Amino acid sequence: MAYVIDIEADDRIADRTGPRPLRDLYFMRVMTTGLGFLLFGLFGTILGFLVVPLLLVLPGARSARQARVRRMIRLAFRALVGFMNQTGCISYTFSGTSTLGRPGQLVIANHPSLVDIVLLIAFVPGAACVVKRAAWRNPSMVLAVHAAGYVANSPTETMIEQASALLGSGECLIMFPEGTRTRPDQPAHFHRGAASVALRAAHVVTPVFIRVRPPHLSKAVPWYRVPAIRPHYSLTIGAGIDPAPYRERPAPIGSRMLTEYFKSYYASGLRAT
Amino acid sequence: MSRHAAGRHPVIQLMHDTDAIFNELRATLAELFELDPARITPDARLLEDLEIDSIDAIDLLDRLRRQTGRKITIEGFRSVRTVHDLVQAIHRVVNEG
Repeated sequence: MAYVIDIEADDRIADRTGPRPLRDLYFMRVMTTGLGFLLFGLFGTILGFLVVPLLLVLPGARSARQARVRRMIRLAFRALVGFMNQTGCISYTFSGTSTLGRPGQLVIANHPSLVDIVLLIAFVPGAACVVKRAAWRNPSMVLAVHAAGYVANSPTETMIEQASALLGSGECLIMFPEGTRTRPDQPAHFHRGAASVALRAAHVVTPVFIRVRPPHLSKAVPWYRVPAIRPHYSLTIGAGIDPAPYRERPAPIGSRMLTEYFKSYYASGLRAT
Repeated sequence: MSRHAAGRHPVIQLMHDTDAIFNELRATLAELFELDPARITPDARLLEDLEIDSIDAIDLLDRLRRQTGRKITIEGFRSVRTVHDLVQAIHRVVNEG
């Protein structure tokens, strides 16, 4: 299952110049990628309209029902990851996941692909997540994200307060400080929201470095334009960052310093992985 | 006015005087954003001149809530562009009701 990662070969194919290397089941991957989206939509609808309401009417406290819905989402995403891996859409490595999902832990990650959030939710047990607002406008998702206690992404007080409250009550929270997917040709742009949340309530900030080679399901490219070789996702976990020293300065200064630290940590972390 | 006590931070009292609010605000902004007080003039634009953005506004409103003891919502501050606008908005908040 070893695939040689050769970005230049991929570029050559895109340019239609130079020798054409073996396409590594290209059309198969176009089909299974499409099927992946189809399954996501299909099962998302079934889960969103039937299973989530069922989980909500089962007895238990609010927190128990919320945990149930999060578990369902995690298992569904785990199944989707398994499907993508088995059919050859992607391959991935993600080790050390047992250190994720701790109380008050803010898990941050860069965001090169649509699959990032699927991988993180699939492997971080019990976590809440800041997800894009569009999920609250999607009829098959709105109940699930609401019942799971996820936070809608926006650079507003509401998001910062909800995210901080989750961490403060001992939950684990996943956040993409870039806010949206990065275009592969552009450097990561970290917003201060994540640092601001970290300063308010995180016990520890754990960075996950996500590398996708070749670029896959990124913002600039339609889904059916799959890379010539199977994309490999490499997720590595960096050393935890203690936000306490940044709390000694006024909040706006501390959040700027912490954001700068995130940036430099990611710049070196993504080079090293 | 003990109900407006706000711990270690100076208290903006129920001031009718916008000059007094401006002076308190200048001290607050200088401390919170580590700015030279000389840069904080009524005409200074928060975003362009002082680099105070929407995320900073959340921290600033937190501080103003503690200083004034008032419930301050971000709605009353949406049209604020300059330090002068901010003084007027705080003036409205502390003198209403």
